[in-house]
Amino acid sequence: MKKSILIVLSILLVNIGWAQMRVTGTVTSSDDGSPVPYATILVKGVRGVGANTDLDGKYTLTNVPADAVLIFSYIGYTTQEVSVAGRSVIDVILAPDALALDEVMVVAYGTATKGTFTGAASVVKSEAIRDVPTLSFENAMNGKVAGMQITTTSGQAGATSSIRVRGIGSMNASNEPLYVVDGVPVVSGNVTQMGIYTTNNVMSTINPSDIESITVLKDAAASALYGSRAANGVILITTKRGKLGKTSVNFKASVGITPTFATDNFEAATTEQQVEMYYENFWNADVYYRGRTDAVASTNALAQLNKRFNKHGYIFTAPDNTVNSLTISGDRAGQYFNWDDVLFRTAVYQSYDLSISGATDASNYYTSLSYTKNLGRSTVNEYDRITGRVNLTQKVGKFVEFATNINIARSNMEGFNDTRATGSNYFMQSRNLLWGLYWPTDYNTGDPWTARYGSYAYNPVYYNNEWENNSRTLRISANESLTVKILPELTFKSIFSYDNTQTQDHLYFSKLHFSGSSVGGSVSEMVTNVNKWVSSSTLNYNKEFGKKHNVGVLVGWEVEENKSEFARATGTNLPTSALHTVATAGKLDANAYYWGNTMVSMLSRAEYNYDNKYYLSASYRRDGSSRLSPSARWGNFWSLAGSWRIDKENFMQNVDFISSLRLRGSYGVNGTLPSSNYGWRSLTTYGNKYMEQPGSGVSTIADANLSWETSYTSNIALEFGFLDQRITGSVEVFNRDSKNLLQDVPISRVTGFGSTLKNVGEINNKGIELELNADIIKTESITWSAGLTASHIKSTVTKLYGGQDIIWYDPTGGDSRGKYIYQEGQSTLALYGREWAGVERETGKNLWFLNNDSTPDLTVDGRPATYNYTKASEKIIGNIHPKLFGGLNTSLEWKGLSLALNFTYKIGGYTYDAVGRDVTDDGYYWERIVSKDQYDNRWTPQNKDAKYPMRIAIDLEDVNQRSTRHMHKADYLRLKSMTLAYNLPKNIVNKVKLANARVYFNGSNLFTMAAYDVYDPEVNEYGTRGWEIPLGKTYTFGIEFTF
Amino acid sequence: MKKINISIILMGIVLLSSCNGFLDVKPSNSAASETSITNVNDAGVAISGLMSKMASSDYYGRNFIMYGDAKGGDFAIRSQGRGLDALYTFNHSATSNSYSGYWNQIYHNILQANNIILNIDKLEADGKGSNALSSYKGQALTARALMYFDLVRLYGKPYNMDKTSFGVPLILEPLDASAQPTRSSVEAVYTQVLKDLTDAEPLLSKSVTKGYLNYYANKAIQGRVYLHMDRFDDALAAAESIILDNKYTLYTNEKWVSSWSLENGSESIFELAMYVSEGDLRTGSLGYYLLRNGKITGAMGWFMASDYYLARLGEDTEDVRWGIMDYDESSDERFGSSLKYAGVDLQGDKGSTSAVNIKVIRLSEIYLMAAEAALRKTTPDRTKASNYLNEIRKRSPNLEPADIDNITLDMIIDERSKELFAEGHRYFDMIRLNRTIEFNDDFIYPAVQISHRTKTIDRTFYKAILPISQAEMDANPEIASQQNTGY
Repeated sequence: MKKSILIVLSILLVNIGWAQMRVTGTVTSSDDGSPVPYATILVKGVRGVGANTDLDGKYTLTNVPADAVLIFSYIGYTTQEVSVAGRSVIDVILAPDALALDEVMVVAYGTATKGTFTGAASVVKSEAIRDVPTLSFENAMNGKVAGMQITTTSGQAGATSSIRVRGIGSMNASNEPLYVVDGVPVVSGNVTQMGIYTTNNVMSTINPSDIESITVLKDAAASALYGSRAANGVILITTKRGKLGKTSVNFKASVGITPTFATDNFEAATTEQQVEMYYENFWNADVYYRGRTDAVASTNALAQLNKRFNKHGYIFTAPDNTVNSLTISGDRAGQYFNWDDVLFRTAVYQSYDLSISGATDASNYYTSLSYTKNLGRSTVNEYDRITGRVNLTQKVGKFVEFATNINIARSNMEGFNDTRATGSNYFMQSRNLLWGLYWPTDYNTGDPWTARYGSYAYNPVYYNNEWENNSRTLRISANESLTVKILPELTFKSIFSYDNTQTQDHLYFSKLHFSGSSVGGSVSEMVTNVNKWVSSSTLNYNKEFGKKHNVGVLVGWEVEENKSEFARATGTNLPTSALHTVATAGKLDANAYYWGNTMVSMLSRAEYNYDNKYYLSASYRRDGSSRLSPSARWGNFWSLAGSWRIDKENFMQNVDFISSLRLRGSYGVNGTLPSSNYGWRSLTTYGNKYMEQPGSGVSTIADANLSWETSYTSNIALEFGFLDQRITGSVEVFNRDSKNLLQDVPISRVTGFGSTLKNVGEINNKGIELELNADIIKTESITWSAGLTASHIKSTVTKLYGGQDIIWYDPTGGDSRGKYIYQEGQSTLALYGREWAGVERETGKNLWFLNNDSTPDLTVDGRPATYNYTKASEKIIGNIHPKLFGGLNTSLEWKGLSLALNFTYKIGGYTYDAVGRDVTDDGYYWERIVSKDQYDNRWTPQNKDAKYPMRIAIDLEDVNQRSTRHMHKADYLRLKSMTLAYNLPKNIVNKVKLANARVYFNGSNLFTMAAYDVYDPEVNEYGTRGWEIPLGKTYTFGIEFTF
Repeated sequence: MKKINISIILMGIVLLSSCNGFLDVKPSNSAASETSITNVNDAGVAISGLMSKMASSDYYGRNFIMYGDAKGGDFAIRSQGRGLDALYTFNHSATSNSYSGYWNQIYHNILQANNIILNIDKLEADGKGSNALSSYKGQALTARALMYFDLVRLYGKPYNMDKTSFGVPLILEPLDASAQPTRSSVEAVYTQVLKDLTDAEPLLSKSVTKGYLNYYANKAIQGRVYLHMDRFDDALAAAESIILDNKYTLYTNEKWVSSWSLENGSESIFELAMYVSEGDLRTGSLGYYLLRNGKITGAMGWFMASDYYLARLGEDTEDVRWGIMDYDESSDERFGSSLKYAGVDLQGDKGSTSAVNIKVIRLSEIYLMAAEAALRKTTPDRTKASNYLNEIRKRSPNLEPADIDNITLDMIIDERSKELFAEGHRYFDMIRLNRTIEFNDDFIYPAVQISHRTKTIDRTFYKAILPISQAEMDANPEIASQQNTGY
């Protein structure tokens, strides 16, 4: 298109008779110094004179006027104009043009240029994620796309992330976006069946180095072509292709270490401080609660200590009957076991990537092989992966093109229980359960300590050898496509894709292990085989009429089948600890079944633009899904959108300040399918075995009219560029009304069931997003640019079944750790609980605001309050959703050196601390260790203005209540990633026959500033912080060569 | 080009219209409800499922048995807060401790029975009937009758107190999710219970069955229902139809204690099976609930015998039934802990402390039923009454046998207490007989004040029956106006 405009321009500007000369030179990319083949060179104002660069980026132009201006252009790069000024050799370095409106981006079922696309979409390029040491791409996207929130709470290698695009649109169905790789929807999420022991993110089977770009589709115009799965946004991943020119061999190696966590995380007090608090706990109970003397209290407190710790080699005395004289003696006195040394290590991340790519006119190839190994911070967590990819495109004749993309990944993960489990969560053990007074060996005999410690922890040094787990994943995806150019303006494309993920889970407990002892040891092998077939065919017609009317039409259909098979074999009563296989077991147990769903779709899109000024597009998709009954199965999804290139209007020609300006808007409908494959069917299950006979029972009472959740989304955006695109950006406003939301509606129990799934709820999300980029300094030698993304989203429940509130809990972690309420007019993440009124200054007791009309015990800040939490009423105590979130990026380039910083931030909202009940305990869990925060801030007669109450061993339940006590401000700013890179100078590199060489350093999570600094502020998608192992600070060094 | 376009569109249409088969994806580990019972084998599988659900913790597996004892005065608690003690303290209301588990589980089971009956009727209408199929229908009808009988006693006033008052919703077919049924009268429920039982009677097998309902279980339930309706002639006939057929025999005094370590003993007319890998409640089982606190890991000493029960059983220090009692946490001389569900050696009836069959109906009860019915019928038969009573009373070897002169109703009721302790009968006996129940509250240590009831209650106390839960009223607003008075 650009070319033709230029030709038109050149016709208009006729030039006559200057001195003619010959010009040669090389065109290279500023990105990596590599030659740019097939770049176009035109002479400004002269028709018929032009050339393309060859494979080495070299060009020759003849008959060039000596004072001519040459125009160098290549797709994806900023066009440059260079005056010849009599020179015969002109070398040009083209800079990639990430912000250009002509940039080609991958969109639903095709590509579009950024300036003409009518939907809301953001693109993240490979350069932006390539240096981040991550197993899966999601982690590197944080803060780079306005409106998208990415949460990865667990620091375990291989943990699954969660993504929310533009808020929360469902209560019962999934809120995760649809993932599409190279045009085909793929399996996403966790694939292991290990339950609490491990999650295994299937997206990590895609090597982040193979990704060329990621497009996030946000509004209905962009995503409605994906119909019934697009309401939560769509993430389009495009893998790399070869570039025209010589074969390019790229090798990249990086090593990262994570010696510490990114922030403090519930740091435990010292062993002496723990002992002091333990004594105080019982002493206070006797003196303040039972009214006993100091002497009696001290005797009792010491008895408690001695009873628990004498056996570990410690003796406790307190001659003056107070904590002041408390001393620890005994054989092990002065030495405390450092459990962190055996539970954690410096994590090591290594990754090696080799890729070979290239292209000719007829074929294009990209192949890669990579190996990644990540030893997690926890000594029982590791992950390794091998991936291989072949992307091949071959033209057959003039009109037909075959493409095949094959990816094979094999990964192996070992993990541990990340939930609130006293026996097996190693992070919890380090912060809450393992006293420095406990030792892995018996104090008397020197044998391993095998009994459960008083705090319910087990000796990990011993038990780590008595169990094992791993989750191996083999993913093969093959994506075959055929493109036929039937006519110059008509293209037919057919894609067939097969995606197979096979996960083998292995879980073994020896008969010595506490989890295996009651059954004589156990071993389970589980195989989950997830198969996905997708076939789609599209016909694409594009034509220009009368030079001003551009029309594009796409029609197609798509068929998809998903089938997962599961088999488990379990053996118990194992004969020997040497053989960890089911085959040897004395008792066998097995299970196997499969499940799945299918979908058939018809899709179409029409686009029109007039004079590249006014754009209109419409899309329509019809989906039929097996997850719904025949009568409710088919749904229609559509969108309408338009945009206006204001900058192309005549009245804008004189406004030099504004270099581009575009207004676009869209409205459309898309949907979300129920999570359950068979939710509409009333089923009989066979889970009621009786006297070793099968037993059946009706297990659901279904609503056969179960249907899609439907989202109605409108979007208005203004895109702008100032000062020759030195400053660019966009402001988007969106409104998303999600209706027919699935809710478990309570029904009369006389029917036999308590609830049935119905489409009844409604949620509204509205927000504003800002993306801003500026080249602050742009000279030949130095560029400094900065970017900002900011989003504000208001997510509100607007309708519930019968207007009735629904109380619900954070489903992650399995311990109901956050309590929420869905209430009409309130946030979709409204924390629900009691309002803690702090600590009474004179007594150190817990105080609670009543929030009801019962008789208060006292007033706090003029409000009725009570000592007894049971008298206080629950209410909405806070909103998890932040007021503003996003990222801040800046990069500085000077010669070959570049520095890039990527910050993420959150302003407003709350996080909920589900660990506080364990580590800032007032006297409920007696034999547990607590945090330094608790030690420093608890009430004592010397510290009456305390944050936390007096510790007193009378089974106080106050700390276990879900309340404002555990709710903290969520604001934070984090340097998510910092990269310092150096491109070795060309003259040095070329001497060793390299095209390019680059060394870099990347730091992840190096700096964090948080409003509440007791734990890592990056919490999960429900805003809660539980016992997951936290994120670390990672320092990565890498080198990259291109031959 | 047009041609290509049209043909592609046509292809699309053909594809879309032929894909309804492709879009019909069925689960592999469950079946569509409407087609899950299509032959006699399916019906048998469904009956097994129903029996398994009847043994759920909310019903015969634990809570229903506990209901009948915790509230009847023969049980006591030592400390509050261990679990189900709110039954004992009558701390229940529509909004907290509603004990809606009974309502929910029993109606869930009734749905299963209704589904079985409906499908068997369909098969029979299609000419696919058989004796085996009839027997399954008989079992489903009998189970449904037992469940409605239990429900109406939990939620409705006693039949002989006010049979016109609200019973429970009477549902005989699977319902739609939108159904909001209301309560029928106590009398209507009893009428249906009797109809189901008499309909089922000829369909059932007369051979001894293990783990399933048979003809004699049906008759026994009839007897129970008649006793509640004060129809003593009918009750006696039902009881004698079991006794006189001699399929079951009473345990001798020597065998009585060991019978608790035996599944499907000679007295067992209906046991619900509890197997290790099936409905086993482990530390939450009946056996654990009655063990002394700390006797084995997980035993918390939830319930033990009241002083009154111990005094009653203490009428004879050599009563064989002391053999199943163990000392409790209060002292090693107070034998208040029952081992009926764990077995004396804690090995249950098949080597497990918790996976132990629930003896729902056993012959001893039938003898006592016969004795009571004979004594209370229009023309009392004191000979029969004393003969039937003595068959059980002889388990107290030092007590005088009953005879036509000394026999009283109290002797029979006391014998029921002694014999059927911890088997879920005492409370229902006291209610149907309109007796005062006294609670051994002074046994709680340290002493606490019970605020939800007085030390003695009778059936006029509004909490003598359970409330309809708030959740049910929220989902079924019609029933809110039918809440039991007082709640």
